[in-house]
Amino acid sequence: MSLNTSILSTETLDYMRPATEVMRLARMGCGHPTRLSFLRVLLRRLASSDWKIDRPVWNVDANGVGHGVYRVKSAERTYSLVAFAHDLPPEMRSDRVIATAWDATFTLFDGEPTAEDIARLADNVPYQEAGRISAKELTLARANRSVRLFEHVVNALAQGCQPDPAEIAAVGYLMRTTAVYGSGKFGASDRADIAQRPELAAPFQVEMLTVWLIRAFTVDIVEHIATARGGETAVKLDRDIRRSLGVGNSTGLGMAPFIVRHPVLLNNWIMAREKALARVRAQPTARSQALSDLSAALDAAITNARVWHSEHPIQVCKLDELRHDLALLSTTLNTWDWKGEHPWDALWSWGVQTLTFEGQEVLLSLMLEPHGALVDDLADHMGANEAASFRINGAMPVAELLRILESDYAWALAIDFTSPENVARFWYVSEEKLEPRLGERATEDGATLEQPLCIARLVAELHATVRNFDATQSVAALILEHPEHRFAVRRAQITAHHPYAEVQDNLIAADMLPIDLLRCKLAFFGASQFDPRSDRWVRINLFAGAPFPDDIKAGGAV
Amino acid sequence: MSSEPQDQTRGDSTLFFSDTKPAPLSCNEAASLCMKAARGAGMSWGMAEEAGFAAAWLVSHGIDGPSHLRAHLERADGRDWADLCPTVTPDGWQNTNGQPACPIIMGATMYDYADLPEGPHSGTTIALGSVSAPILLVPFLAEIARSNGLAFTLSWSKGAVRIDADETWLQASLQSLGLPQLVLALSTNAAPPHEPSAVSTPNAQTTAATIVVLNSFAMRTTVPATEASRAGAGATLSDND
Repeated sequence: MSLNTSILSTETLDYMRPATEVMRLARMGCGHPTRLSFLRVLLRRLASSDWKIDRPVWNVDANGVGHGVYRVKSAERTYSLVAFAHDLPPEMRSDRVIATAWDATFTLFDGEPTAEDIARLADNVPYQEAGRISAKELTLARANRSVRLFEHVVNALAQGCQPDPAEIAAVGYLMRTTAVYGSGKFGASDRADIAQRPELAAPFQVEMLTVWLIRAFTVDIVEHIATARGGETAVKLDRDIRRSLGVGNSTGLGMAPFIVRHPVLLNNWIMAREKALARVRAQPTARSQALSDLSAALDAAITNARVWHSEHPIQVCKLDELRHDLALLSTTLNTWDWKGEHPWDALWSWGVQTLTFEGQEVLLSLMLEPHGALVDDLADHMGANEAASFRINGAMPVAELLRILESDYAWALAIDFTSPENVARFWYVSEEKLEPRLGERATEDGATLEQPLCIARLVAELHATVRNFDATQSVAALILEHPEHRFAVRRAQITAHHPYAEVQDNLIAADMLPIDLLRCKLAFFGASQFDPRSDRWVRINLFAGAPFPDDIKAGGAV
Repeated sequence: MSSEPQDQTRGDSTLFFSDTKPAPLSCNEAASLCMKAARGAGMSWGMAEEAGFAAAWLVSHGIDGPSHLRAHLERADGRDWADLCPTVTPDGWQNTNGQPACPIIMGATMYDYADLPEGPHSGTTIALGSVSAPILLVPFLAEIARSNGLAFTLSWSKGAVRIDADETWLQASLQSLGLPQLVLALSTNAAPPHEPSAVSTPNAQTTAATIVVLNSFAMRTTVPATEASRAGAGATLSDND
């Protein structure tokens, strides 16, 4: 989906934010989930279509060891989460990729697994990266207990009591995933083989379905162990408490390069969100139902901001800004003039002038919330056929490439890469763990093995070559003579047709914060309560407040 | 797969294949491993992406592309760009130094020139000279044929293969084009534009031996661990709460 192929009225186009405003790390690092976030897309589909969800297998012993199968079935397709529950000694519990054992391991099976499938998966899934799955599987995942909350909830339920709401609020989940792999990893089905299915066309739908079913598992296993411990005294978890629980997730530096490596996908995510905002702003009037929906969404955002904890100094400061801005927004909305011209655009303009980036981006999310009928179709354009933009247009004249570089990459060419603070870091892959890391150029070895993630510098190097190259020649001739620029040429040609493809910041600058890249991506997933634990890894919560399989048909906001 | 404790912390599981066990890779894994290996063997990042594309294309068409790439990389390792690239003229694309050209560079460059006078056009024949692992040219030619409405004939001293919409030629050509190198000529004719074949072929498996070699090339792109680099991964707090 690119600007020139979209069916946008000129009027709506006028309300689009430019990439120079949207694609800056400081703003991307303030992203909030919206109704276009991938977990919301999944929940809308499961709630609205003829999907039936059940748990045909539950073969778990009194210690909570065994396996269960969760089945999601429509007339055409069945997907099954196969969950393996383990008994993990506390000293083996770690969220890092360097962990070697987990409380529970999962795979999403494409169809209904036979006994042979389950046996094969039992020999592989618990070992995660040391096992292999097949094209019959769509994801591979694992999760660890929140030791503190898990034990508290089991004890309470076993004694016939409900858990302490303060404990629930302080953690927010019973288990957290430490990896959810899809897209052909470890032998799983390739994305290209399933992307045509309507229910999987939006990004990360198999990963989101996996996590949503894991959430059901986390409650089932808690109730199961409580019953085994407490017998007839044990009770089920209160349904309101249950609904407040999500699935935690720990995410490190490994995820940061993703949005840099997938420029068309990033463009399509941002484009959908920005078109949605533009459509809302372009409305000449406001409907009364939309206003009451906005009010409800604001109340939910205020509640979310209240329970959102972080000890990281940057996030503490951002949370202060967010709470302040939400209070200001609440006061302002009490007297807002909805009868004026283009009242949504007027509200947006007020926000831009008044609020911090945190406040502006949460306002965007709130403004989309009452407008499902107007914006939800945009979710259909958030996937990407990356193969379609892989080919280089070799017939392009070098003069045209130079023009693209000097217009679309003016932000990159403005960076002085001779200045040490602008080349302070380098991205590399560690030999030990094969995971992406960020090194200090001045003090660490390995900069000669730098990964091509600082697009700004690669483009600046290309520009230096192009400026001195015969402008009447073709791009094909340029990259035959300068194969080292092939990567950046491909990038520039993609960006010429995808205005939101690039993070318009220096990704090797001394003050660059990897958590800003993480937050942007996680907000598109639908993560709430972003909690950085350093400048390069975070905890989040997914699906908190969302329906469970047994109540998704009963409604509730999704 | 083994139940013994292993280093389960690495970013891929291909190291766990061994001996003569079949090694089924997803296309994503094949593309990723081959891209890293090609980079490790000296290709630029942009050309290494082309190597990943070509190997995965072959896997998805039932041919063990990673093994062909491995064989080529072993021969090309350490050679200069000038010994691998074609010199592009309207009727000849041979390597100037008389070396077997790299099929990835040849194929990608052919695509770059597809809409330029020096490129393959209906009615032309281009002498390609000696090309290493010529099967790796096929993904590029098949894609150009599809997008530009062309049919190609690749010919050598003892045979020829026509590359067009009907992909039945692919398996038939494997025996010849799977050789280490061939002196080739490329003839081009017009053909109706077409979409990729709807017939889906099971992915080709590769071999554990190939994965070992490709991994060793790929490991050249990685940086050995130090205390500073471990800190660079970012974990300083306990997760056990």
